[in-house]
Amino acid sequence: MATYYSSSDIRKGLKLEIDGYPWVVVDFQFVKPGKGQAFNRVRMKNLINGNTVERTYKIVESFQAADVEEITMEYLYKDGDGFNFMNQETFEQTSIPESVVGEQASFLVENMKVQVLFYNGRAVSIDLPYFVELEITYCEPGARGNTATGTNKQATVSTGAQVGVPLFIEQGEWIKIDTRTGEYVERVKR
Amino acid sequence: MDIPGLRARARVLHALRTWFHDHGYLEVPTPVRVPSGAMEPHLHPIAASGAWLRTSPEFALKRVVAGGLPRVYEIGPCFRDQEGGSWHGDEFTMLEWYRVGAELVDLMQEVEDLVAAAASALERPAPAGWRRVGVRDLVLETTGRDVASSTAADLGGVNEGWDDAFFRLWVSEVEPQLREPVVIDEWPASQAALARVVERTAWPTAQRFEVFLGGVELANAFFELGDPVEQRRRFATANEERLALGLSPHPVDEAFVEATGRLPRCSGIALGVDRLVAALCGWPGITPGRVEVA
Repeated sequence: MATYYSSSDIRKGLKLEIDGYPWVVVDFQFVKPGKGQAFNRVRMKNLINGNTVERTYKIVESFQAADVEEITMEYLYKDGDGFNFMNQETFEQTSIPESVVGEQASFLVENMKVQVLFYNGRAVSIDLPYFVELEITYCEPGARGNTATGTNKQATVSTGAQVGVPLFIEQGEWIKIDTRTGEYVERVKR
Repeated sequence: MDIPGLRARARVLHALRTWFHDHGYLEVPTPVRVPSGAMEPHLHPIAASGAWLRTSPEFALKRVVAGGLPRVYEIGPCFRDQEGGSWHGDEFTMLEWYRVGAELVDLMQEVEDLVAAAASALERPAPAGWRRVGVRDLVLETTGRDVASSTAADLGGVNEGWDDAFFRLWVSEVEPQLREPVVIDEWPASQAALARVVERTAWPTAQRFEVFLGGVELANAFFELGDPVEQRRRFATANEERLALGLSPHPVDEAFVEATGRLPRCSGIALGVDRLVAALCGWPGITPGRVEVA
């Protein structure tokens, strides 16, 4: 049975299904023009593609609750069908297709704990930890003494992804990367 | 409890009463518990033991004006069910005043003067750069749509009437752009409420205006309807709309309707005091000036 909310129940964090997408309410404001009906001006984020929109709903309108669940899962391995993850509580395994993992595959490493969003029982998006530490598997030799921190050369990390790094970074070193931007953060000692 | 907020509110209340006293207005308290709480379809009065809490002092104050007082005002609590949020409360303080012989332009000047007096009491600069504009021009300017030649669908309405589509456009696209102090007049005739209407034009409008300060609707004024037959018809129309929305009809205040026939030519205006204080102080909502006990 689907749950329904009326517009007057809207609050931050509520997850709604609108136009076939799950949304989370980021902010809302009760507005009532002098002679008209009351409205809710709702700012909400699409849980699948991250787009934020603002829409206006009459207070009398109602919404279906989005059947969404966020589960922490551990990445195991990739095979021909996609990426395999394990539920940390039930140990149940789920294969998530490449189309859902998308560009995040660039920084996915074995045993990484990720947040998987299930919508109507199907995995629709994954969120990596904000930072990941990876080994440089290839880059041009470092310019000794050059301590400029700007990213001036391309390096390949263990997942195969390309990351811009400063000139002083050497092959075999480990670096910290921001998974949201794909950018180098700092060198780390391992 | 926000002590500076309450002090600001007290200063404004004092400044308002002083201004009205200096301009020859008599303060007249009228009952809060009344036989009919509202006429408009989208106002929801709170029931109070066989009667209603007023949504505004309008019916009672008009009877006072019809009874022979040419300049009256009241500052007091009003109640509107199902309203809550940063700029709304189901109980709030309303200032309402009536002036016999006044046209809407006279009240526009008074509201600007009064806001300046309130700002002065808070030792703040008076809002400057007031603009006066008609609804049609304002919507055209902010959205590129001409409401005078638009259907509900043209305005973006989906399965809804013209007024609902208009208000959806208003709250989504027009109101968020109102930053400067502005007086907006020539509202669609269908949104006249208790104002007179100018029918014989291509774009029939109500003789009313709304005042926006800091992006917030502050006040609403009418060139008052003085025709009991038309007044009774408006009650009936509003109640038909309420029935269509699944709401119970408002009781018709017969003594008020009858008094409309004795109302001299006058204009009247209602102003939200909580919002006035908040807008002048630059608060994000009305809360700091209020005592909450719930």
